[in-house]
Amino acid sequence: MNIQRSWYVLSRELKLSPRSPLVFFAIAMPLLITFLVSSVFGSLFDVSPKLAIVDLGDSQITAAATQLDGVETAIVSDAETLRQRVEAHDFDAGLVLPPGFDAAIAAGERPDLEFYVSGESLASTRIILAVTTVDLVRGIEGSEPPVTVVVTRVGDEDFVPISDRLLPTMVIYAVMVAAIFLPAASLVDEREKRTLDAVLVTPTRMSDVLVGKGTFAVVLAVILGFVTLALNGALAGQPGTMALILFIGSVMLMLMGLALGLWARDITTMYTAIKGGGIIIFLPVIFTLFPGLPQWIPKLVPTYYFLQPIYDIAVRGQSLGDVVPELLIAAAVCVALVPLVGWVARRSEHQLAMTV
Amino acid sequence: MTGSRIVAIMGKDFREFTRNRFFVFITLLVLVAYVAVFWFLPDSVDETVHIGVSNSVLSTDVGGVTESGTAGFALEIYSSEEELKTAVEEGQNDIVAGIAFPPDFLESAAAGETPTVRLLVPAGLPAEIQLLLEGAVSEIAFGFAGTPPPVDPITEAVVLGVDRAGNQISLQQQMRPLILILVLMVETFALSSLVAIEVQQRTAVAVLATPVRVVDFLAAKGIFGVGLALSEVVLLGLLIGAFAVNAPAVLMILLLGAVLVTGFGMIAGSYGRDFMGTLLVAMLFMIPLMIPAFGALFPGSSPTWVKALPTYGLVQAIIRVTVDGDSWSQIAPSLLLLAMWGVAAFIVGAFILRRRVATL
Repeated sequence: MNIQRSWYVLSRELKLSPRSPLVFFAIAMPLLITFLVSSVFGSLFDVSPKLAIVDLGDSQITAAATQLDGVETAIVSDAETLRQRVEAHDFDAGLVLPPGFDAAIAAGERPDLEFYVSGESLASTRIILAVTTVDLVRGIEGSEPPVTVVVTRVGDEDFVPISDRLLPTMVIYAVMVAAIFLPAASLVDEREKRTLDAVLVTPTRMSDVLVGKGTFAVVLAVILGFVTLALNGALAGQPGTMALILFIGSVMLMLMGLALGLWARDITTMYTAIKGGGIIIFLPVIFTLFPGLPQWIPKLVPTYYFLQPIYDIAVRGQSLGDVVPELLIAAAVCVALVPLVGWVARRSEHQLAMTV
Repeated sequence: MTGSRIVAIMGKDFREFTRNRFFVFITLLVLVAYVAVFWFLPDSVDETVHIGVSNSVLSTDVGGVTESGTAGFALEIYSSEEELKTAVEEGQNDIVAGIAFPPDFLESAAAGETPTVRLLVPAGLPAEIQLLLEGAVSEIAFGFAGTPPPVDPITEAVVLGVDRAGNQISLQQQMRPLILILVLMVETFALSSLVAIEVQQRTAVAVLATPVRVVDFLAAKGIFGVGLALSEVVLLGLLIGAFAVNAPAVLMILLLGAVLVTGFGMIAGSYGRDFMGTLLVAMLFMIPLMIPAFGALFPGSSPTWVKALPTYGLVQAIIRVTVDGDSWSQIAPSLLLLAMWGVAAFIVGAFILRRRVATL
């Protein structure tokens, strides 16, 4: 291997990258996935009851309702709009507060309540909003509850909300597209267009090409992984440690990508292999999402050994010292992949020599 | 336009599609995975909050809450606070939290004192459940103190729309149309790949050097694309029970959906310079086209811009038939919208492909 020739290959990758749809794809996908996972799927798994209020009399209930933790409250301009939107299930329930409602309650009256419930809302949501509404009205009434409620936390203190458990999903997407897809597709493309043949008739050797392409993929993957973590506020005050873990993970996936790119006959085979084999790479993510599943299974998959340290540092507040064992295994996987890539490269070089 | 020429081109496309056995194997594997995922999804909705109670004071009806619970709120009685705590920690009987009444609760409440009730709350309990528990405990205490609530939203509530309490749409039912639409969207890419290969390898020129005319070529691509998308999605639909209700309507919707994705497939295939270019262009179409399907998972009406997307009619029609059991006349507006988008996409796709072929 010659460092200078590898640098030439890397420079060529950098020069061509702005025109490459694949590089655009690699950069755009993590941003898109971050948006989808955090805004769309986060709210899909964590839905709060939605209450709409039409306040015709400047009621104190409205202000109190908007302060509630656990209920999304929205103010609607008129009763007709409220009814339409409750029926469409934009809201689980709607409350119309007529003029003088607070005064009537304070005077000990029992005014009629316009309380609408969406037919599609869950029975549990209906009871939550009904009890919450009674509680809010009690607040206007001024009566103190004849009971003191003390909240005691019990059970698993390590509970992690679903939004945090989605973090490895976003990281694996960011790193995988750049580290596996990019070098694999680039190698297959060069073989199909026979530009690799042209490069290899110069003094540049296959190892120089692989180092150049691999370096480009790792640099891009680390940057995208780092940006993804930063966008999700998951650097945990340890950017250096995160960069190191991303580097090891990116090298691991890059080596897999090079082996795939050298092995695949054509781009369709490569794409199909990623489509089919992706489930193995993604396996640790599924087990993070569902902690009730047996946690020894993802330890059989190499990607676990860089995703878990990221998760442990970002979510569980651990430090580099705590995740060293996992990182050593990840590094060992990288070392073990090098001879595999070398073998596939020699095989590929031999095939190229036969077809030239 | 000649039938035999069209059939010949379609035969060539089919051989092209099935030549790569690995590709066919993985395509079938993905289909099997979709089916497996579907049948693993929960087929019912538990809309009841299960709460554990110790030293129960609810032997009589207090504010509509009894030991048997109420709609959306079920109680599990434990003899001691220690037992209740263990049950909450272990999530026994699906309970999500516990209310530990003190042994002298009734006496204290009757004496006008303010007893202390302990809520046993596991980590990660949604804030709204805690609101419910606090409110329920207060109302029970108010009930014993003889102070009825100033309003009664439980019995006075007016239900708007179809009341699905006790008959909610399960995640499995929600995912059925989504899975069908995802497969249709993926076919956009499959067809665009076939068209792109034809354009990139200039085999279209070779085909057109024979007596085959451009119109035969376009018709063959269109029919093959529709057939490919439709056969895959119909097979999937059969395996996930999508034809259980109004099968002819579902078939019509899927046919129009196949026409729609074929149009987009032809556009993507015409613009893709190589595999990755085709993938990128196909993704540019697929991502916005999937938004209405994902949007359907969320409660509430879709924003106006989502309604303007070509697949909105497809998603609405399929949901209304498979989930709501709507009839032909009820889905007619969605079907018409889908048909208009499908025909427009097909015409534009054929026009762009024709121009692309002409430049080769």
